[in-house]
Amino acid sequence: MRHPGAYSGLLAGGLSGKTGPHSLPLARIKKIMKNSSDEVKMISGEAPIVFSKACELFIEELTKRAWMVTLKAKRRTIHKEDVAFAVINTDIFDFLVNLVTENSSKSEEPQPVMKA
Amino acid sequence: MVEEQDKLLPIANIGRIMKRILPRNAKISKEAKETVQECVSEFISFVTSEASDKCHKENRKTVNGDDICWALSTLGFDNFSDIMLRYLQKFREFERQKAEQNKASSSEERGEVTSNGFGLQPVASASLEFGILEKGGSSSAKQK
Repeated sequence: MRHPGAYSGLLAGGLSGKTGPHSLPLARIKKIMKNSSDEVKMISGEAPIVFSKACELFIEELTKRAWMVTLKAKRRTIHKEDVAFAVINTDIFDFLVNLVTENSSKSEEPQPVMKA
Repeated sequence: MVEEQDKLLPIANIGRIMKRILPRNAKISKEAKETVQECVSEFISFVTSEASDKCHKENRKTVNGDDICWALSTLGFDNFSDIMLRYLQKFREFERQKAEQNKASSSEERGEVTSNGFGLQPVASASLEFGILEKGGSSSAKQK
């Protein structure tokens, strides 16, 4: 990145200040952005930085909601199903419903029952 | 397999962010982290597609920070969008001040007098008090 010093300074007093520079690798974010559609041609330098913050917020929101599910079940460990439940019950996470239900159906592969 | 990993953000980073907002006694299963990991990539793709569509319609080639903020808002992530816009503003201000400081220090070397002392202020003190949570009431951001 061009200005590593700028990032450290930026976040030192901000929301995620404790982790220093960005919590998420900007180059990887940029790769994922480029993969998202053929239309994506050029990405400004600030876009991955914006996403780095947005992803933190996203992860926090999803985690908080999953944790609510975990608590209700009187557990202390967040399971994959808790995350799925949180996704299904949150409108703005609708775009993730297929992703989380795909995952759960993969792990519970139906055993073919042969009846004689 | 390496290519697959390129489409995901590192699970260690994601785990750290998750832990940060949970109570100390909370635990996170590996599968839960992996699920969140996949969700984040999907989130990035989803928002980027929307932003990129907009750029395409407006005959612009470059997706910038404002486009991302707009897409976040359009897709229902209003809270995020507000926080992001302020973050972006601060970032741009920070970059601008830095650029001005660089300009000032190079003009100083040439013996020119700057009209104000702005350029001499240390960058570190500039706008680090984000205060983007001052608005309050945002469920998606937690005050540390």
